[in-house]
Amino acid sequence: MQPILKVQALNKQYKTRDGLFRSRFFSALENVSFCLNKGETLAVIGETGSGKSTLGRILAGAEASDRGQILLQGQIIEDDGKRIVHSKELRLIFQDPMKSLNPSLTIEKILSEILELNTQLNEQQRRDKINETLLTVGLLAEHRNYYAHMFSGGQIQRVALARAIILDPLVLILDEALSSLDPSVRAQTVNLLLSLQRKIGLSYVLITNHLSLVRHMSDSLLILDQGKAIEYGKTSELFSCAQSKQGQRLLSC
Amino acid sequence: MHLLDIRNLTIELNTGDHVIRAVDKVNLSLKEGEVHALVGESGSGKSLIAKALMGVLNERWQVTADRIHWQGVDLMRLPPEKRRKLIGKEIAMIYQEPSSCLDPTAKIFEQIAESIPEQGLSGYFWQRKKQRKQRATALLHKVGIKRHTKVLDSYPHELSEGVCQKVMIAMAIARSPKLLIADEPTTALESTTRAQIFRLLKSLNQLKSMSILMISHELAELNDWTHGLHVLYCGQMVEAGPSKKVFGSPKHPYTQALIKSSPEHNVALEHKSELYALKGTIPTLQHLPIGCRLGPRCPQAQKDCVATPQANDFHGHTVACHFPLSQK
Repeated sequence: MQPILKVQALNKQYKTRDGLFRSRFFSALENVSFCLNKGETLAVIGETGSGKSTLGRILAGAEASDRGQILLQGQIIEDDGKRIVHSKELRLIFQDPMKSLNPSLTIEKILSEILELNTQLNEQQRRDKINETLLTVGLLAEHRNYYAHMFSGGQIQRVALARAIILDPLVLILDEALSSLDPSVRAQTVNLLLSLQRKIGLSYVLITNHLSLVRHMSDSLLILDQGKAIEYGKTSELFSCAQSKQGQRLLSC
Repeated sequence: MHLLDIRNLTIELNTGDHVIRAVDKVNLSLKEGEVHALVGESGSGKSLIAKALMGVLNERWQVTADRIHWQGVDLMRLPPEKRRKLIGKEIAMIYQEPSSCLDPTAKIFEQIAESIPEQGLSGYFWQRKKQRKQRATALLHKVGIKRHTKVLDSYPHELSEGVCQKVMIAMAIARSPKLLIADEPTTALESTTRAQIFRLLKSLNQLKSMSILMISHELAELNDWTHGLHVLYCGQMVEAGPSKKVFGSPKHPYTQALIKSSPEHNVALEHKSELYALKGTIPTLQHLPIGCRLGPRCPQAQKDCVATPQANDFHGHTVACHFPLSQK
């Protein structure tokens, strides 16, 4: 079976200033490769500064890589830092849903803006699409007239999810989207994500520090350390026998 | 004797048209050398309790209590000046987000030096700066920072979150307080640093017999090293008691839901299967239900739940529920 997302030897360097005229390069990602099948979850773990957030931002197109390819369903979408297709199929969910939604717009405005910019739908179709998406994430159609502050913590996470899946993506990137939530809200969100995965075959890239969630949700696991992929494999196998010392240390606590 | 003994602590916010009761009759007691944890989700008032104890709430909040005893002294009846002195000497608090709670315009050394007590220094004033530097270095070593010269000479934004948190702990233990209140010390940190901070707090508790009041929303990571556990929901204390009892045989539906919702404690849970979750979300403070505040979300709710449940004591394990869960 063809993997839905394939990343080959991705590299990213940041320029940092060193002295007055010189600059130094800091390598955030070095030769990171992985593939992700339909309906599966890849977890990315690592310490701070290991490049896991950079990876998420590059995948979603918020940043450009330096070298390497990203393939979506066999098609190259990013080649050596050039985004060929501005992909609607890879969507990012941010860490704090409350801060990532515009407080002065209703949910309908927020969601229809995305549709206006990315699709050819007319107004009625947009409205139907918004209603349908809100129902999918467990909200009601009436919620489209609400503002972000009128929702509680669990509902706002659903709105953020609705914003991510409204373009029918194939892959969702969750950048620490679950770790700041309260336990009961987190359990609800995890249930919702898993049921969406079962129903419409979404794939997730889960960037997190929460090991029990990694164990519960993910099929494969990628451990990053200072930009290098030190371990990559099936989650269950890695948890039982990680090869490198770094990996063992990260997984043991 | 109890180090800290709080009875019926109530914290209210007067909004003009009506009074919101954010914390409702909470009891809490702590012996010397014990680690207790306050667990609850956001909006349950756990940080408010800590702030009320420290006396840092502004005057919009009304704090009433039958008693807040600190080693036999009633803090409610002390004049503010005396209370401030006593608390400043004996209770220290670590705040939630270290990098935003440290002063961004001052170097770490200046901030630590500020919290080192004057009484411990000797000699003339020109000799004291060197002593402060030595103290600050020793404090940093104590919390496990090895590169002390670099850290002392940097601003908070130049350091990582974990190091900032350790600096906060160093500042808190500078006066060697009897009680350390840690308000979500590890939420922003990744797993290895989190383990380090917990190890540090544990060793402070064991070596200096410092009492610790941990505030957290993760029940799972606390159970194996705390002596007592207090579970809060929307400002009501739903269950309190020794950690082993509360964790091993929860009697309140909310505690049970908290334990069951985390994948750590369900080893038998199938991969990618549904997690246990209560229906609905946490009500906002403006729209609190009457009676038991868990009522509308509780799977066992019955007619009696519209009345506020009294706390029942089962051998030191208190539960505020009309229908406590029976033992398995």
